[in-house]
Amino acid sequence: MPSHARKPRAGPSPLTVDVLSGILDTMSTSIANTRTTSEPVVVATNLRKRFGDVEAVNDLSFLVNAGQIVGLLGPNGAGKTTTINMLTTLASIDGGSAAVGGFDVKTQPDQVRELVGLAGQSAAVDEKLTARENLDLFGRLYKIPRAERRQRTDELIAQFDMVEFADRVVGTYSGGQRRRLDVAAALVANPTALFLDEPTTGLDPRSRAELWSEIAELADRGTAIVLTTQYLDEADQLADEILIIDRGQIIASGPPKELKRGLQRDVLEVHVAAGDLDRAVGLVGEVDGLAYDADAGSIGIPVGDDVDRSLELLRRLQDRGISISDFQLRRPTLDDVFLSLTGAPTEREEVST
Amino acid sequence: MTAMSETATRRSLALRFRGVFQDTITVLWRDTIRTMRQPDLLAFAVVMGVFFLVLFNYIFGGSIGAGAGIDYLDFLVPGVFVITALQGAQQTSLGLAADLTEGVTDRFRSLPMSRAAVIAGRTIADAVRNVAGLVLVALVALLMGYRFASPLGALGAIALATAVGYGFSWLGAAIAAKVRQPDVVGMLSMFWLFPLMLASTAFAPAETMPGWLQDFVTYQPISAASDAVRGLASGSPAGGDILLTLGWTAVLLLLFAPMSVRLYQAEAR
Ligand SMILES: Nc1ncnc2c1ncn2[C@@H]1O[C@H](COP(=O)(O)OP(=O)(O)OP(=O)(O)O)[C@@H](O)[C@H]1O
Ligand SMILES: [Mg+2]
Repeated sequence: MPSHARKPRAGPSPLTVDVLSGILDTMSTSIANTRTTSEPVVVATNLRKRFGDVEAVNDLSFLVNAGQIVGLLGPNGAGKTTTINMLTTLASIDGGSAAVGGFDVKTQPDQVRELVGLAGQSAAVDEKLTARENLDLFGRLYKIPRAERRQRTDELIAQFDMVEFADRVVGTYSGGQRRRLDVAAALVANPTALFLDEPTTGLDPRSRAELWSEIAELADRGTAIVLTTQYLDEADQLADEILIIDRGQIIASGPPKELKRGLQRDVLEVHVAAGDLDRAVGLVGEVDGLAYDADAGSIGIPVGDDVDRSLELLRRLQDRGISISDFQLRRPTLDDVFLSLTGAPTEREEVST
Repeated sequence: MTAMSETATRRSLALRFRGVFQDTITVLWRDTIRTMRQPDLLAFAVVMGVFFLVLFNYIFGGSIGAGAGIDYLDFLVPGVFVITALQGAQQTSLGLAADLTEGVTDRFRSLPMSRAAVIAGRTIADAVRNVAGLVLVALVALLMGYRFASPLGALGAIALATAVGYGFSWLGAAIAAKVRQPDVVGMLSMFWLFPLMLASTAFAPAETMPGWLQDFVTYQPISAASDAVRGLASGSPAGGDILLTLGWTAVLLLLFAPMSVRLYQAEAR
């Protein structure tokens, strides 16, 4: 496992809002507005969006503080992208309200756009330009002065390991290279609120781990981050708070640890020879939630967090001459949380070997 | 909160216009890079122009020229200028539609930039490409034996053709912003381009057309532009046609510029 699980933060740090107005504000290029209150950066209140008969987002409310990472987790079609699109002014809001950095998304979209950075689900960069030209283009549109823009572009190219291909047109990039550029493009103007829609989809394990640490670092520097993902391990690693969404509604929320603790069901999984299965099940006796799979020759025994009980069970089976080919103690994963809440498995992916 | 709202209100209208201007220049820069990386678009415009010059001159030149008692090449070249500029407008339509289906458009919409700039920058980039195309077509015409009355006349001819093409490129932009599907846009541009092009004085004098069509043929924008460019190129007076052409261009701009910006913004998402 990459070693950048984030330490929980003591509390929201003072929010610094950089409104980049570039040449527009001829005197000063940025107005720093330091707030000492712990006002959340992103406020979504009873958000709603429907497409015809589909309630894509149905009464969704949440807060994101400066320095916090909130993970939106949910199956396909849950409404994650729609939520992000509404918060970044890409989609209209049908009901409820939202604010970013104190600005109302519906009535002050221009101000909101100054503050947000977005890496959408599909890469939103110009295929016919190079990475460098793309970053420069977005910097210009944010009205960042030339010298600062150049510097920022160089920084991002180095930071996201794009030096090798930065001067080739995007059309020639691999999927992962494009993805990296897309995330870098979201950071051009040092956003106060960063929205990442499945940022690591299509990345190789190393790039993925690197992106994770970049994201964690941005949060440590005070950026409020909303991240959607299909990967439970990703949410587990990065998010301070996870919202599990299904059919446009939050069906569970909390820090990853709490969500997992809510399950309380370590499972001892024992593999035995097929012929021994019935006898083994008999030996284990009556246990609530016991499950076995005759074809695989495996028995799943809920054991709580009692290690002695697991050892005792294994010993009992072995003493009676049952040959155990394999066993493991399964801690509840977010997959289990997910399964028990939605009844549908999510895509699972292994990062480390 | 209050401090930030004040910042927002401090932006005067003047600054907003400056923002539109800046963004337009930025988009123009981007579209120009893209144009230079796709030289086939320019090549296509020039090849079309040359194709029309050769085809119409050698096939219809004899009959139309002799019938009207004029040198047909003198008549044809200004018409081909206007048609070349119109091809450019059609390319605005196709290019913008393709652009709107590309991912980068989504990012533009999440940026604090002017919406109008996306289209304005594009139409200007296409106008620049049009000038290049027109210069190349003019060179081919010179090789074929065509002569401008004066260098100033040549400049005026190119400028006026570019202007009317620019007006039409906003029509193309409006169609693209509405339809957003490059193949459908391609079909639709045939519907306005072909009737205007063929029922015009670009290739043949109005007298050669059926009587019921003549009023339309005489005053429609492509005829006006062809006649005006003809006047400029040959050094004969054409004040009325020039005014009519500029009038049409203004009408196209006033009608389709606000419309296409509105359509671009009205995203049903
Ligand atoms: N433009 C649209 N028109 C009609 N329906 C839409 C539109 N956009 C989204 N939807 C529907 O809204 C629902 C939520 O979609 P959304 O893209 O937000 O899901 P998601 O959680 O991002 O899914 P995924 O994990 O597959 O990306 C889906 O049922 C989808 O089909
Ligand atoms: Mg999605």
